[in-house]
Amino acid sequence: MKTLRLLAWGFLLSIFVATLLAEFVAPAPYAEQFRESPNALPSWQHPLGTDELGRDALSRLLYGSRVSLLLAPAAALLATLIAALVGGVAGYLGGWWERVAMGATDLSLSLPWLFLLLTVRAMLPLNEPPMTSVVITFALLGLLGWSPSARVVCAGTRTLRNSEFVLQARACGCRGWRLLLRQVLPNLKPVLYAQFWVSIPIFILSEANLGILGLGVAEPLPSWGNLLRGLENYSAVLNNPWRVAPLGLLIIVVSCFQLILPLEDFRS
Amino acid sequence: MSFSESLLSLRLSIDYRSKPGVLRNLALQMRRGEILGLVGQSGSGKSTLALAILRLLGLRGGVSRGEIRFQGRDLMSLSEREMCELRGRQIGLVLQSPLSSLNPALRIGTQLAEAWRAHANGNREDCTRSILAALKSVSLPEGERFLRRSPSQVSVGQAQRVLIAMATLHRPPLLIADEPTSALDTITQAEVLRLFASLNRELGMAILYISHDLLSVASLCHRIAILHEGQIVECGETQQIFAQPTHPYTCQLIEALPRNPFESPDRGNTPGQQAMETAGVPAHVPTGKSQP
Amino acid sequence: MRRIWSPLLLVALLAVSASTTAAQSGRELRFYLPAEPKTFHPLVVADDSSETIRYLTGGVLIRFNRQTQELQPELAASWKVSEAGRKISFKLREGILFSDGMPFSAEDVAFTMRALMDPNLHSPTGDSFRSAEGQVKVNVTDPHSVVILFPAPVAGLERLFDQVAILSSRSPKKEMAVLGPFYVADYKAGSYVLLRQNPNYWKRDSTGQRLPYLDSIRLDIQQNRDMELLHFRRGEIHLINSLDAESFDRLAGEMPSAAHDAGPSLDSEQMWFNQVSSAPLPTYKKAWFRSQNFRRAISEAINREDICRVVFARHARPAVGPVSPANRFWFNQALHVHPFDPQKALRRLGQEGFHLDGKVLRDREGHSVEFSLITNAGNKSRERMATMIQQDLAQIGIRLNVVTLDFPSLIERISRTFDYETCLLGLVNVDLDPSAQMSVWLSSASSHQWNPNQKSPETPWEAELDLLMRAQASTTDNKKRKEYFDKVQQIVWDQVPFIYLIHKNALSAVSPSLANATPGVLRPQTYWNVEKIYFAPEKSGGRR
Ligand SMILES: Nc1ncnc2c1ncn2[C@@H]1O[C@H](COP(=O)(O)OP(=O)(O)O)[C@@H](O)[C@H]1O
Ligand SMILES: [Mg+2]
Repeated sequence: MKTLRLLAWGFLLSIFVATLLAEFVAPAPYAEQFRESPNALPSWQHPLGTDELGRDALSRLLYGSRVSLLLAPAAALLATLIAALVGGVAGYLGGWWERVAMGATDLSLSLPWLFLLLTVRAMLPLNEPPMTSVVITFALLGLLGWSPSARVVCAGTRTLRNSEFVLQARACGCRGWRLLLRQVLPNLKPVLYAQFWVSIPIFILSEANLGILGLGVAEPLPSWGNLLRGLENYSAVLNNPWRVAPLGLLIIVVSCFQLILPLEDFRS
Repeated sequence: MSFSESLLSLRLSIDYRSKPGVLRNLALQMRRGEILGLVGQSGSGKSTLALAILRLLGLRGGVSRGEIRFQGRDLMSLSEREMCELRGRQIGLVLQSPLSSLNPALRIGTQLAEAWRAHANGNREDCTRSILAALKSVSLPEGERFLRRSPSQVSVGQAQRVLIAMATLHRPPLLIADEPTSALDTITQAEVLRLFASLNRELGMAILYISHDLLSVASLCHRIAILHEGQIVECGETQQIFAQPTHPYTCQLIEALPRNPFESPDRGNTPGQQAMETAGVPAHVPTGKSQP
Repeated sequence: MRRIWSPLLLVALLAVSASTTAAQSGRELRFYLPAEPKTFHPLVVADDSSETIRYLTGGVLIRFNRQTQELQPELAASWKVSEAGRKISFKLREGILFSDGMPFSAEDVAFTMRALMDPNLHSPTGDSFRSAEGQVKVNVTDPHSVVILFPAPVAGLERLFDQVAILSSRSPKKEMAVLGPFYVADYKAGSYVLLRQNPNYWKRDSTGQRLPYLDSIRLDIQQNRDMELLHFRRGEIHLINSLDAESFDRLAGEMPSAAHDAGPSLDSEQMWFNQVSSAPLPTYKKAWFRSQNFRRAISEAINREDICRVVFARHARPAVGPVSPANRFWFNQALHVHPFDPQKALRRLGQEGFHLDGKVLRDREGHSVEFSLITNAGNKSRERMATMIQQDLAQIGIRLNVVTLDFPSLIERISRTFDYETCLLGLVNVDLDPSAQMSVWLSSASSHQWNPNQKSPETPWEAELDLLMRAQASTTDNKKRKEYFDKVQQIVWDQVPFIYLIHKNALSAVSPSLANATPGVLRPQTYWNVEKIYFAPEKSGGRR
């Protein structure tokens, strides 16, 4: 188990480094269309072949991984922060506050978030550069993806609120926000940490889902989502099995995230 | 101690939603600077009373009615804000189980600092100075190293002392200690008892000492109140309680006290005396002569 | 035990019977309807599936031949249009019976026309005949002659009769009595429609044999296009009317003789600039979009050949204008595709004060040229076209931001808020006649996408388009109409309100076991001559 986790860490790190060095590693700019050779098989020039517009598949994979691997944790951070705020305050104040906040959480859990995402995206200004649009997409994912974590955090905070040591702190005169921030929050760290790690693969997959619907990251910027769309082209995949490389990478990365999930933190 | 003798006087009825009538019109008086032992069997509502005095019972789902007069003020009529000002500053409380009363995520130093900052403004140095002084007063190692420890790295006895230090950081006129020795081994118990005695002697701090164990109370307390079936059935000088218990329940309690198997009863040595000697109790504490 | 066995046995029997019918299905043609037919009443048809049933079962007076694109007499032996397109008189064939044995006469035509023009029926087919307020008069002069008089001239009148399946005025079976090659014999909602050969069908082949050759047609309802392709490859169905380029190439790889590329279809893909004056866009951008040279330059900077080759695997043709070359009569032969020439595009932009500043194109005031292109999400070929255009425009220093939107939001933007800059969409053309495009070219119309619902034409060329379109609609002289419509195409080519990109080819699949099937570009692509289609005997390719 330990070696497996080490392997997972090593793999993630090397991918991370490779994507950060994409400028140097990638054989071609990710948007350049080699129109004479669409759907090409792997070759020296294009180690993973090209996509249906003749763009170098390896370069797109590298840059796409960078987008997904950098922004998914950012979105996870955002979602976890919101979850901490909403769940924490609700669990801490309890009573009426808790009921309202958990009602809102349930509501946002039951919302057809996909449609919400569509609507919000449709209202965004059109002339955003692709990089902005991808940041917005992930920000939206983060803004909409907090509710499951908020439930967990709220439950955790409720337990803490009723704990002996918080009572002791109150008996010493500690109160209000300071009590929440300095006494309760530190105890939520493992929960938040776990929520953060759990959210990363979820957001990676959500972006991929959006991409498959054609609503993810705007062209020509690659992300795992729009790379996976290439798989829809069934015949092209048959002719060029290397097309599944993004899917393979996605599966491996998500499993790596599962492997390195800090199990100890769950136990403690 | 000179002008108003009465520090705390209360008359309370307390219900839990799932268990009404835990305390029924309970009346209790405390004088300045005295150590009052509150004795009752477990489940009789001692901790409930302690929380009720600080008006923290609501968090546990309990409702209290009646009045609590503390230094001439009725605590029941204070706002929550005023209560917060009062907790830790006017009345300190040490909860029952030392280990679970320390925040596992915070270092000892941080917890003490939080308690200090609840009622004091000042820079880091002021804070550290006060904390170190408090540690000294509870005979804990004063080093910064100790402050950096986390609760999992200290012993039960140390934890209890930390809690006492926390509760007495602002020198409150009244300290409520809920079974502070029950979780400790006998030697540590004795040390803690001595600590309370010295707090009382040196700071003139009144202590409401809660225990289920008549014995540990005997050596320390000036007076003892017996809690039984939601009411104080007997309250008086320690000596008097041991010498002439009036209520049948008190008699029962005294009868049930263990005897030293190696002492012959005619030597007149009471367990209370033994405890007193170990704890080095101040002179004015009564010597129980309690042969029923 | 027995109770358990019997259903199993039944299943086994069914399986056997199914396989035997499959083996003998030599004379049953099968293909899929994409959806449930909404009606079997030929006059109220509005959906594709019902249209298929109508085409296969209905008898019409005049047929528009899908291959020659000419009108041919059908139930009418001859006809004559007079009074400048207000009046048409038919001479009907004699001795024809409906599928239920009722004789066909001029009364049936009159009955059909009256039903068709009845405002309570709300017939979409009838709507195309309504040129002006007033009654349509139908006069039966003898049992085989009928005269129809319209209140005003109807453009392309004769061709409209291709859609009018004649009903029986007397048959108790009402609209289920038909004059076409097949009749509806069985129908299970949600599952299939079974058509059988009409025993009374009037047409015969050159040897005198009664048509149609086929015994029956089974139309199963199947929405899934992948299943359609799969079942075709397994031989379970015999026709696919339209395929996308990818499926086509896959099929062509496996069964070259089954895949038919009939050349460019009527459908086009185009992009346009938002020229609405009240649009929430910066003034300088509105100025770009209203500049003819700007639009022309963009058109010339787009490599249409590459789009055809890369996105459509060569199964598309660069588009000249609104009319596909597949529309033989109306296509303006004088026009050619805007040539791909980035240098020329830059020179053209230079005339308008645009200049390259390093790699960025700037307008006279120094604004960098950047705009967005919206298209509907989920349409892969459109997204790819957009991405290719993006790179083409980058070559001349223009930054194009491609935004994919869900369809409702897209429609909202292009037809209500006008909060967009350029849009890429396709247009499905079913009608060859320019009258069908009236709502696109009239400046007051709602489908005048680049600047709809104008109170009065905002530019001289739009005013001219209005005039020309009205002129072509008000005459029945096709030569004159063609002149007018050629001019329309010329103006659109010059002014580029739409940048026409490509026409997709009409790709279809026909089982090699079918003889006489010659897929074309017009709907119904594969079975337009259904009465002549038959199953060729194994291995002998000879015709009957
Ligand atoms: N939060 C609570 N809700 C309901 N009943 C309680 C609660 N806390 C204590 N009790 C009940 O009240 C009685 C007094 O409890 P407690 O004050 O803890 O007793 P002691 O401290 O004397 O052992 C007990 O019978 C206990 O079961
Ligand atoms: Mg207790």
